[in-house]
Amino acid sequence: MSGASIGDNDENPVAINVTAMVDVIFCLCLFFMCSLHFKQVEGKFDTWLPKGKGTEGVGSADQLIQEIRVVIFWDANLMQAIKHLGARRVSSDEELEALIKEAHEDSLRMNKPDMPVTIDADSRVPWSTIIDIVNLCKKNKIDKIEFAMGAAPQ
Amino acid sequence: MKKPPQVKEDVTCNLVPMIDIMFLLLLFFMLSADMTQRQFEDVVLPAASMVQTGDDLLGNDQITTVNIFHRPEGGGFSCALYKNAVCRDAEHWRYAVRSQEFSAQTIREQIRIEAEATMEQDIDPVVKKRMSARKVLIRADSGAPYGDIQRVMLICGEVGVYKIEVAAAEPPKA
Repeated sequence: MSGASIGDNDENPVAINVTAMVDVIFCLCLFFMCSLHFKQVEGKFDTWLPKGKGTEGVGSADQLIQEIRVVIFWDANLMQAIKHLGARRVSSDEELEALIKEAHEDSLRMNKPDMPVTIDADSRVPWSTIIDIVNLCKKNKIDKIEFAMGAAPQ
Repeated sequence: MKKPPQVKEDVTCNLVPMIDIMFLLLLFFMLSADMTQRQFEDVVLPAASMVQTGDDLLGNDQITTVNIFHRPEGGGFSCALYKNAVCRDAEHWRYAVRSQEFSAQTIREQIRIEAEATMEQDIDPVVKKRMSARKVLIRADSGAPYGDIQRVMLICGEVGVYKIEVAAAEPPKA
């Protein structure tokens, strides 16, 4: 008898040819192996929009004092984001975290616990940079985070 | 001269252990295969240690997932700039809702349709109009331009969706 089979012809007269079955299982295994997809652990941040507030201008300098404003520019030559806290340029995330923490503590001392961190970023800034700042705020227990909205990108 | 008689050797291969293992492998791959309709495109989410995990991201039927991902013309990841997450070619960034791709112009209509399908029963006392009960989950690639996420947020605000969530990945544990 040709081909692989289960059972010995001498001992068992009914031998099963498993070659075809092995072929099919190989194909199925290959298909499921190729379609295997490992998922990363995902989570989310709630960023609910203020009802009826819409987008509004920055307004006066007094209004700027009412917020901790993180401004992010995009340097097209260096292909990197340049961060500022207010007017001060920040060189690293650690420095930014320390400055945000300090500003938040100041706001608590001034009895303004709701002072938000406003992220005002260039539309070309990578999303990961924005999420880093959101994460940094959450780490320092700042829940009020606002996104400054410019004109919709064309 | 007489040829010596040929001895026939019966070589049989026992396939039973191999079939057992292959069945187990098949079972593993079949059970781990995800054949559901893909709400989630393959995107490299930005990592954030403070992200809320544990909840089922799609536990509620009234969630629209807007994926923003990089796919240059012709498919694949052929754009050299994408490797450094700084590709800023607007044509390379796409939006997708339930595996259906949209452009920057057509995504507005899709979000509007989904928002209007699930309007809240009562008029909101703050804005004096009915808002949408729908949540929008934005799953943007870590290198996506912020302007694309801004656009989705602005559209949501315009069509009455105020429940917005942004997705991030939990960083790998050391």
